[in-house]
Order: sequence, then structure tokens, then C-alpha cells
Amino acid sequence: MAEAEEPGLSDQYPTASPWPLFVALGLTLSEIGVFIGLFPVAVFGLILFGGSVAGILTESGYAERPWPTLLGVGAVLTVLAAALALWQIPLADIALSNVGEGPLLTRLVAVAVAGLVMAAMGSVASLLEQTAA
Amino acid sequence: MVAGDIVLTGLMAVLLVGIAALLTRIENWRSYTPLAGGGTATGETVVHREKPAGIIRWLTTVDHKDIGLLYGLYAIIAFAVGGIMAFLIRVQLVTPAGAILSNNAYNSILTSHGITMLFLFGTPIIAAFANYFIPLLIGADDMAFPRINAIAFWVLPPAALLIWAGFFLAPVTDNMIEPARTAWTMYTPLSVEQTNPGVDLMLLGLHLSGVGATMGAINFIATIFTERDGDVDWANLDIFSWTMLTQSALILFAFPLLGSALVMLLMDRNLQTTFFAVEGGGPLLWQHLFWFFGHPEVYILVLPPMGLVSLILPKFSGRKLFGFKFVVYSTLAIGVLSFGVWAHHMFSTGMDPRLRASFMAVSLAIAIPSAVKTFNWITTMWNGRLRLTTPMLFCIGFVSNFIIGGVTGVFLAAVPVDLILHDTYYVVGHFHYIVMGAIGFAAFAGIYYWFPVFTGRMYQRTLGKAHFWLSMVGTNLTFFAMLALGYLGMPRRYATYQFDGAIAPLVQVTTFHQLATVGAVILLVGQLIFVWNIVQSWLEGPKVEDGDPWNLERDGMLDREFEWFDEQLEADEHERDPSLLADGGQDEQTDS
Ligand code: HEM
Ligand SMILES: [Cu+2]
Repeated sequence: MAEAEEPGLSDQYPTASPWPLFVALGLTLSEIGVFIGLFPVAVFGLILFGGSVAGILTESGYAERPWPTLLGVGAVLTVLAAALALWQIPLADIALSNVGEGPLLTRLVAVAVAGLVMAAMGSVASLLEQTAA
Repeated sequence: MVAGDIVLTGLMAVLLVGIAALLTRIENWRSYTPLAGGGTATGETVVHREKPAGIIRWLTTVDHKDIGLLYGLYAIIAFAVGGIMAFLIRVQLVTPAGAILSNNAYNSILTSHGITMLFLFGTPIIAAFANYFIPLLIGADDMAFPRINAIAFWVLPPAALLIWAGFFLAPVTDNMIEPARTAWTMYTPLSVEQTNPGVDLMLLGLHLSGVGATMGAINFIATIFTERDGDVDWANLDIFSWTMLTQSALILFAFPLLGSALVMLLMDRNLQTTFFAVEGGGPLLWQHLFWFFGHPEVYILVLPPMGLVSLILPKFSGRKLFGFKFVVYSTLAIGVLSFGVWAHHMFSTGMDPRLRASFMAVSLAIAIPSAVKTFNWITTMWNGRLRLTTPMLFCIGFVSNFIIGGVTGVFLAAVPVDLILHDTYYVVGHFHYIVMGAIGFAAFAGIYYWFPVFTGRMYQRTLGKAHFWLSMVGTNLTFFAMLALGYLGMPRRYATYQFDGAIAPLVQVTTFHQLATVGAVILLVGQLIFVWNIVQSWLEGPKVEDGDPWNLERDGMLDREFEWFDEQLEADEHERDPSLLADGGQDEQTDS
């Protein structure tokens, strides 16, 4: 984390923000990862996307801190992936050992993993900040 | 596979950590203070300069003018890429056997040409003008959502890379990933059956560009509704803003639909769904969904250029736009009607003849508001004091080409005529009169008209006129030859034409193909002059000293963007003279 005294780019310049570029990059990587079925690209892309959304909402003042947004995006993705899996895949086939087998299951697991990582990051960072304060 | 995954995971992890590190270096997350709304806020921090220096400025900008310039650069690059592809197509067709390309290469280039021109040139060049000038024209400080504006732009470069991905990846993957050969309409079942992953990449690229266009549209609607200056009301809103407002509404209804249809197609290809399979929704479902987007798309592309012409043409006619109100009404009418004509692209699919007749009626009806506009442009020039500057020449060229493009469209809208001309070069001639002859020309008119504003310099007038005449002659030679080819029966999307004389008379067909290629050469020379003129004048052209370079004050037609420009010029003068710094000049000094 940068020292608190150093003004950031978006504090210094009224018409600059580092986030839009990364929101777009995150969205691109998420789409490629999920649709083409590239597990690591999907996971990291979604994390980049969720993280940048949390960042940009905080920077522009729609949210006070980024962490609840991160937690929220993560939770939504996890729930969505779980719901789709339960709806579209026979219960017996939903098993970690089947990851890499079914095209749908593998993709949904990638989404869920990204969601869980974001949710974990969001909650840990929230807790750390609250206890530090 | 496993090794590949590990490498990919490593790469992604490094990328993510790198980004996080970069962000913590340049941005201070702790300093964020909650503000109301998401506008560009200065907070309490001291502003030294408006923008960071160098490349960082362009990568992080949320200023509408910078984003407009980025869109413009992007669109010109896409125009060059799509133009080179078009040129290759024309070279191929100088001989019946095909001069330079294999059939596969031809189909790849044909597909990419169409998609590049429509989605990577057409939509972005309009966004370029709109971003730079709508806030200035309506007296807004910036767009309503500056950050969403930047996101909408930054999805476009990856979209282009995805759309062209097959061309880059074919050589390095031993042709495992090739460019798509679906044509821009991506008709099923062909587009489902081509297992080439390059098609998936292209579909994703299109999807991303659609996401960007939708975000942009929401932004323009919000901006025009909420950010107008106090003395700009609906009655005196300029015509370009009106067309952008209508276009944005069309985008809002059309692009999400394209996005959904693309996702369905991707799922049919990768997840064994059957949306467009015979046992599912059937292949025609794709055509309906595609054209429900596709026809509004042609108006998405043509309405703002019509707005540009309606804005610029009166300036050099010395008269206000004739029947302003009716130009606005016809814009709105076209916007509504454009959703009721999509099946005129499907007349020959064997659809119900009663449905066909009703789509024919609505398609013919849409010619009425189009004609209203045309007559209004002509009457604006009537008895006017015409000044044939380069932007004006391009406006007049627009009107002339639009008439030919529109009239040929009316013929196509008649079912019996269409059944004969469908899928021939006549259709290609028709829509190129519009997309090149009209949309392209309006873009050039806009670039020349506002060149002083966004560069502070003047272009070289003689080169501008050369550009116009070469474009006008080239366009009409190329695309009129195509209309003739269509009458002769030459089918479209053919890489070679050594067919039996029963389809079309070979000698005449060859001649017209060669004429079309000559036209393309003329067009190419014109565009080289254009690029040279723009680049050289931007760097070295004479500085514009006067806030009214077109002498519009005389006719009382100086719009707000030139008033703004005038203020900029004055502010610059103060900056150059340090003794004036005290009254609000900008401090160039950077902090540590
Ligand atoms: C005066 C109003 C117009 C009418 C009545 C009209 C009518 C038509 C019809 C009936 C077709 C289908 C021909 C066929 O495939 O058999 C067509 C094709 C086409 N039109 Fe127009 N048109 C008009 C204006 C425009 C405009 C303003 C644009 C572009 C901005 C445009 C772009 C196109 C394109 C791109 C196609 C070819 C689509 C394909 O690949 O199949 N048209 N037009
Ligand atoms: Cu149409």
C-alpha cells in the first residue's frame, strides 16, 4: 500500500483515473476465460474485473471502501455459478473430480473459484481495516 | 494441457500482481473520500495541472475531449485496416480466376473487412465526434459519467484484437486458430459448423464492442438529458445532439439483443445448446435476431452522420437549416420505423408472403422521412451563398451519394425486385453508396470542419480538395460498377467468377469488376493524401489565431464549440505571456 501522504493519480488530476483501463481489461479476460474455457484466464480475469469495479466505485465516491463491493461481487458470482450448476448439471456429476470433464462444470467452477477468492479477500481486508482502526 | 494450464496460471498471476503493484504505486486508495455522485471531482486536493504527462495521460484520461481523440485515432486505424482489406478484395477480382488470394483467404478478408468497417470504424468514428463535441455543443463540463466513458473506449482495443485474432494466431498455431469465414452476418448453420476457435474469438470481440457501444449510448442519453447548460433547451438543441440522442436510443434497444444472440451462438458452438439447430429454434431464428439488430444498426450508423451534415451544410450555405423541426421529426420517425423493417433482409427465405408484404410496406415508408431530410438539405442550399470549402464539398457529396444509395434501397425494398437482386452485387453497391458514400463522407466533413478546434491548426486546403475529388470519383466508379454487376447477375461473396455464362455474361462482368478496381485505386490514392494532410497539418500546419476560422459570425451561426475554442485561444495567449499569469493562467510547474 502506498504511503498515505503521497497523493494518488486521481487526487492529483481531476480528469484522470487509473481504473477504467483495468475494468475493461478484466471484462475482456473474463469473457475470454469463461467462453473459451480457459480456467486460469477466467479466474484471474474475474478477479481483476471485480477488483477494478470495487476500485472505481470507491474512487468515484459511490462506495466508502472497496472491500464490501469485492465481497458482494464475489458472493454474487459464487451463488450464480452454484445455481446454474444445480439447475443444468445432474447432481451426481457435480464433483471436483469431474472438473476438466464437462465443459459447463469446468467453467462454473472457474467462476465460483474467482467468486470465493474475491469474497475472501473482501472480508479479510474489511476485518483487518476495522481492527486496525 | 496440464503444463499449458500451469504456464497460463503463472502468467495470469504475474499480470494480476503486476497490476496491483502498479495501482498501489500510482494511486492512493486511502485518500478516497466519499462524494455525492460520480462526476469528476477535485475534492480538496490542490490541482497543479489538468492532466498527467505523456502516455499516462492517455491511458488514464476521463476527459471527454481526450477520449474523443482516442476514439478518432482508433477509428482511423480501423479504417486503414479495413481499407487495405477492401483493396485486397478488389485486386483479387480483376481476373475471373482471382488474382492473389486463395478462396479461404478471400473469405477471411471479406468477413473481417465488413466487421472492421461497421463495428471498429463506423461506430467509433461517430463516438469520436460525439465525445469531443456534444459536451461543447450543449455547454456541459463533461459527459455525465466520465469513467464509464473511458471504460466504453477501453473495451474497444481488445475487441479489435479479438476480431482480428485469427490473422495473428494462424501462423503461430499451425492454422489451428484461423480467421473467421462467416461473413459479417454470421448466418447459422455455417457459423455453428465452423469449429475454428477463431470464430469464438471474433464473436467475443463483437460482444465486447457491443458492451462498449451500449455503455456509450447510456452516457450520451444521460448527458443530453441532464448536463445541458441552462440556456440550451429542447427547442434550441443542436441537430447533431438530436441525432445522437436518437442513435443512442436505437443502440440501447439493438445492441443488447445482438449481445444475447452472440452468447446464444457461442453456447451453440461450445456448450451443445440448440438455439439455432434444426431440432431447436431453427437456423432462421438467427436471421430474425440478427436483423432485428442489423437493420437498426444501419440507422445507428447513418443518423449521426446525417446530423453532422445537417449541422455543417448550413454553415457554408449562409442559411439556417431549412425546416429544422422536420429534420428532427424525421430523425425520430426513422428511429421508430427502423425496428419494423428487419425482415426485408429475409425476403428470399421462404417466409409467409403476408408477412413479406407488410415488411415491404414499412420499408417503403421509411423512405419518406429519409427523403424529407434530403429535400431539406437541398432547399437549405437553394439560393444560399455557397462556399465550397472541403467540409462543404463532402457534405454535398454526402447528399448526392445518399440519394443514389437511398433510391437503390427503395427498389430492394420491393419484394419482386429484391427476389431478383438479392445476394447480387447490386446489394453491395446499394449499401456501399450509404456506408462509404454517405457515412464516410460525413466523417470527412466533420474532421475537416472541426480540424481547427481539435488541433489548433489548419489543414492544407488544396490537399483537402484533392481528397474530396478522388473520393467522390473513386466511390462512384467503384460502387456504380457494382450496381451494374448486380443487374448482370454477379452474385456477392464470390472469390472467383469463372462461372458458366448462364449465370452472368462473363466478358461484361469482368469489365465492370475491373472498373470497380480502378475506382478502388483512385479511392486509395485519395485516402493516402488524407492521412498525409492530417498528420502533416497537425504537426506543422499554420496555427489558427482566430476563434472563428470559418467566418460564421457574419451569418450569426457561430455555435458553442467555436465559442469555447475562442476562449481556449485567449487562455493560451495568457499562458504565453507570463505577466498575465495572475489572472487565472495555468501554472505549468509540476510538484515532486
Ligand atoms: C432509404 C432507405 C433504405 C432502404 C429502403 C433499404 C433497403 C434495403 C434492403 C431491402 C436490403 C436487403 C437487400 C437484400 O439483401 O436483398 C438492404 C441491404 C442493406 N442495406 Fe439498405 N436500405 C435503406 C437504407 C440503408 C442505409 C441508410 C444503410 C446504412 C447505413 C443501409 C445499409 C444496408 C446494408 C449494410 C445492407 C446489406 C446487408 C447484408 O449484408 O445483407 N441501407 N437495404
Ligand atoms: Cu435493412
